Amino acid sequence: MANLLSILSGAQTSLAAQRAVTATASHNIDNANNAGYSRQTASLEALTPAEQVNGAFIGRGATLGTVTQARDRFLEAQIPQALGDAAFSTAQADALQAFHGLDPEAVGGLGPAISGFYSSLRALAQNPSDSGLRSSFLGAANALAQTFNRTSQTIESSRSGLDAQAGGLVGEINSEAAAVAQLNVQVQQARASGAEPNDLLDLRQGHLDKLAELAGATTVATSEGYVNVVLKGGVALVAGARAGELSVQPDDAPPRDGHLGLLLRQADGTGPVSLSNAAVGGSLGGTLFARDGLGGTLSSSDGSLRAAGASVDQLAFDLASGVNATHQLGYGVGLYESTTGLDLLATGAPGVVAGAARNMAVLITDTDSLAMASAPGAPGDAGNAQLLVATESAPLSGGKDVQSTVSDAVSQFGSFSASAKAFADQDGAVKDQLSKMRDSYSGVSIDEEMITMQSAQRAYEAIAKVIQTTDQMMQTLLAIKT
Amino acid sequence: VRVTDRLVFHTATLETGRARDAAQQAQELVSRGTRIQHPGDDPAGSGLMVTFNMSSERFAAISSAAAAASDELSAADGALDGIGTALSRARELAVQLSNSTYSAEQRAGGALEVTSLMTQIVSNLNTRFGNRYLFGGNEDGSPPFDATVDPTDPTFGNYLGDDGVRQVEIAPGVLQQANVLVGSMSADSADPTSVLKTLQALQAALQANDPAAVQATLDGLDDGIKQVSTARSQAGASMNAFDTATSAAKTASGDDKTRANKQGDVDLVESSIQLQATQTALQASLAATAQSFKLSLLDYLR
Repeated sequence: MANLLSILSGAQTSLAAQRAVTATASHNIDNANNAGYSRQTASLEALTPAEQVNGAFIGRGATLGTVTQARDRFLEAQIPQALGDAAFSTAQADALQAFHGLDPEAVGGLGPAISGFYSSLRALAQNPSDSGLRSSFLGAANALAQTFNRTSQTIESSRSGLDAQAGGLVGEINSEAAAVAQLNVQVQQARASGAEPNDLLDLRQGHLDKLAELAGATTVATSEGYVNVVLKGGVALVAGARAGELSVQPDDAPPRDGHLGLLLRQADGTGPVSLSNAAVGGSLGGTLFARDGLGGTLSSSDGSLRAAGASVDQLAFDLASGVNATHQLGYGVGLYESTTGLDLLATGAPGVVAGAARNMAVLITDTDSLAMASAPGAPGDAGNAQLLVATESAPLSGGKDVQSTVSDAVSQFGSFSASAKAFADQDGAVKDQLSKMRDSYSGVSIDEEMITMQSAQRAYEAIAKVIQTTDQMMQTLLAIKT
Repeated sequence: VRVTDRLVFHTATLETGRARDAAQQAQELVSRGTRIQHPGDDPAGSGLMVTFNMSSERFAAISSAAAAASDELSAADGALDGIGTALSRARELAVQLSNSTYSAEQRAGGALEVTSLMTQIVSNLNTRFGNRYLFGGNEDGSPPFDATVDPTDPTFGNYLGDDGVRQVEIAPGVLQQANVLVGSMSADSADPTSVLKTLQALQAALQANDPAAVQATLDGLDDGIKQVSTARSQAGASMNAFDTATSAAKTASGDDKTRANKQGDVDLVESSIQLQATQTALQASLAATAQSFKLSLLDYLR
């Protein structure tokens, strides 16, 4: 009798175990499309200790052992770096691709404006006393200055747009960091029961992946069961149950030049401390790199919008300096026929390259003061006009003429933009491949889960049959007694 | 590889997205007709486009300025032709009226005609093209030969211009003289046999009924005709240079524009084939994806 009851008791436990298998499969199916979810497996174990009857051990059924996650630690260790790299290069490429101030065929671009300036100058050099041509040249000079102004403004507004983007990213990073810190606490509390809180671990992993994407952050597991989050520069963003907080504020120093810089109130509550652009990776790092480049002294390997702005400033400064140096030598007509030493173009403070494009302006308003003559009192003299035309072929500070300098600026920016795009494609491919491998290992297969459910259902039916059979056996025994 | 549902859907999303992106890009390329919009599309090609476009504009400006210079020289040549014709008529009068058979009245009539020829010549020397006087050197804003006094006044036809040589670019950095200097024809020229001095002498000799003095002006008139001829030759040579430059610069401008376009233009045959290929790939990707979605155990379990 006692054995029959033991069978019923074992069947009851086994039914619960099969229900757990079905529930786990159901949970897997429910989360099949959850990107951060790792499939779980319910493992059954034989119930121990077995009953000993006449020297033999008779089993007592099955029970739920553990519910484990399918996670490949080696694979997952590579994913944060891949996510950060892909986000960095994508952010950089997107920022550079979105800037159209140096497009080769842009209407109102630098090339056409410089060509227009020299074309008008050539026409004027053919007939310098023609007031119509003088007006036309002055108009072309104004158009040139406005084009430099507009190009500089376009670059600055692109950099300001990236400021807004960086501000948004900082908000997201703070939110994710706070979530990780909170989940660290919850995971630790859940582990106190002795079981692994699989869904909490998945949730935390999702936030860690997001932090890798947003800030290129990496993780360090601690012996207490926390996961600390560390930025590229080695500064902790999350330390155990506490999260640091990033903020932005304008920074006048190079390379930010008045754009937003990063501050971090550290996880231990100290700070805020200033962070360099290089201290973060991911989308935020890529955004700041596209905006400011390597930082410090500009180099030829710097493909940022700041570098593009600097090359446009240098071009504006060199062009204006060359034109002014020649224009100063000439003489005007009419009231200005004896006047000499006038500049044509202003570029801000004398000798200062930075901001030259933004500040470029035409200093002359009276067409008579355009100094086209090489001697006083000779309105038809185009000697100085021809010297001004010759500035088009004169080497600028980079050793090349204006045409080659514009061409180089366009090519160089294009090269960096294309490289960033290529890196983004390459890094994206690595990220996709690792993501697919993770999906393959940790993802849910509906087919597998259906089979598992079918299997559990069959087992459940069979166990029910065991209960029915045991019940009949008990009925038989009870009938003998009566 | 263990195939999971997320893997299937993730792969489908990526692969159909890539196929659609490729087809979209190929379609845009064909529709747009240009393959370079952003410097990143082809950095080297973008730089060359800028170079060729700027070079094209430079040559177009040179061509335009050279054509304007040629037009001015053509007008100057026309004026010199008129001066030459007037001088030939003056020489005819000198030859004719140096003959002793002519009377004083006839010579006085000749003097009047010479005065008229002087006025005509000074008018030609003050030829204006557009807003500039062609024969004043760099003093091109006012008539270069004094026509404000009576033609019989010795200062009539004095030169008010300068000897400035105007130059215009015929190729990058190469200049060609664009004006003709005829100050030596003036009444106050250092040359004792300048055109206007000789005509003044002829007019005075005819007025004075002095056949010998009339005869004496013939050498000066011949010299004047030669001066005009030389000036016309110089104008013609410059005109040729400018006409050649106009044509050459125009061709160079067109060539550079073609080169710039070639950098940016799409090869329509190649891009059409590419469009077809990417659209086929997209169809295949969509069909394969749809097929993979159909195969599930769910469809067979009842």
